[in-house]
Amino acid sequence: MYDTHVLTDYDCRSIWEHGNKVGYAVNLTINYYRGLPLCCVDEITLEIDGEIVDPATIYVQHRGKEFQYLDILKDDFPTDFYWVFGEYLRVVVKKEGGIEQGQHKVKLTLGTRRSYTPTMVAICEKVLTFA
Amino acid sequence: MKTNHDIKLGVSLYSYQDNYYFHKYDLEGCLAAAAGAGAEGIEIFPDAMIPEWPYISDAFVDKFTGMLERYGLKCVCVDHFSDTRMWKNKNLSNDDLYERGVMYIKAAAKLGAPAVRLLHEEHIGVFDKSSPMSRDYHLTNVEIVERLLPVAAEYNVMMALECHAPSTISDPCHEPYLEAAERLGLPFVGLQADFSSYEYCITSADVGMYTRQGANPEILNLIRNSQREAYFSGKIFDFEHIREKIERIGLNEVDKKLLKNDFIYGINESKSFENLYKTLKEYASRLVYIHGKFYDIDEDGQVDNMDYPKIFKALVDGGYKGYICSEFEGNRRMNDAGWVNEIEYVRKHQVLMRKCLGYE
Repeated sequence: MYDTHVLTDYDCRSIWEHGNKVGYAVNLTINYYRGLPLCCVDEITLEIDGEIVDPATIYVQHRGKEFQYLDILKDDFPTDFYWVFGEYLRVVVKKEGGIEQGQHKVKLTLGTRRSYTPTMVAICEKVLTFA
Repeated sequence: MKTNHDIKLGVSLYSYQDNYYFHKYDLEGCLAAAAGAGAEGIEIFPDAMIPEWPYISDAFVDKFTGMLERYGLKCVCVDHFSDTRMWKNKNLSNDDLYERGVMYIKAAAKLGAPAVRLLHEEHIGVFDKSSPMSRDYHLTNVEIVERLLPVAAEYNVMMALECHAPSTISDPCHEPYLEAAERLGLPFVGLQADFSSYEYCITSADVGMYTRQGANPEILNLIRNSQREAYFSGKIFDFEHIREKIERIGLNEVDKKLLKNDFIYGINESKSFENLYKTLKEYASRLVYIHGKFYDIDEDGQVDNMDYPKIFKALVDGGYKGYICSEFEGNRRMNDAGWVNEIEYVRKHQVLMRKCLGYE
């Protein structure tokens, strides 16, 4: 559901600290017709220009909170952080040097677990311009 | 336009989901669209359109009730979900599902809604183990609903059991819920019809979507036209009558997969619509809520795969009192081909429903 839209072009850019690039971010929207708690995210895999991003470097930012991606996959991750319908979920990759400004080929695999239908996996591939 | 009728019309805000998802209309915009279409009530998915869900602050309630007052609307239903698989390593227990049920009932009460649409175990009937929809966990079942009844009574919130296709309101699988309410003397669970139970053919929205997925439109249209022909000539559709014709056309891999799906060829199969409308009339006065489901509207302003005039006649004659909310599900069948004008679809749907109630 919304498979071709889950990877948005909203605020794609490098992340900076003290004048240096320390990472980059993309914003996702959910592949479902309603919201789900973040504990229902089963997979966020990013591939940039053909290279898979190390999941240990991925962070998820949601309403002023930052979680390590690998932590949201754990069994005991809380159930009340809701990624609501249409809301941007900011996915940050921490990487010295960030990403080169300009166009990059991005492939996202987003898996979410549902309560009453089979788990759905959206694969979305786009050329995005990073600021 | 208000109908001044025992049957009131509303809109499930789900109908505007693409507008909301793509940030064209926020919650207030959706309420304005529903009011502009002439609706008196709205239904809301809290986990779609309440940003702070699963909490609801007083500030949100104040804003929400203020907007309802501004647009002359009532919140008539809140959608309950059974997120059994919320945890990664275990399913929610019955105790957990009960707690979640309490949460939704309290949310409805806080938002001023008289009902929750309850996602119960048998909402699309009982699965046999071979069904592709079969699962190894359960949703909110009769045991949990029995425990929820005193809570629903305390908060004065009706639990509406959505009877969705392929199930119907008279499917015996919904009966134990009503029996529990009667046994306990707590009339806070009731049947909710969903017009999907009255589809006489596959919708043109599905023909389009499956064609874009690689199915042969000749086959899909042959099925659709045969289902229509059977319905309008008062006959029962039998897929076996067209199986040979379809096989002569030749099936590709997508067609083969689709034809395993009951939702395609099973529609209208072995159904006597005369009996369905008769049963709807018999049950009408006991129904507590209705989803006016639709996927597409034809050039005559009719829903392209359900007989709204006959459905409404059964409901009016049977004495239904309550809301019918537009539930547009064409968006997710058509939006792969481009923008779907949900606001226009809902407007036309409200016009059709008003006409069915005798208003021009």
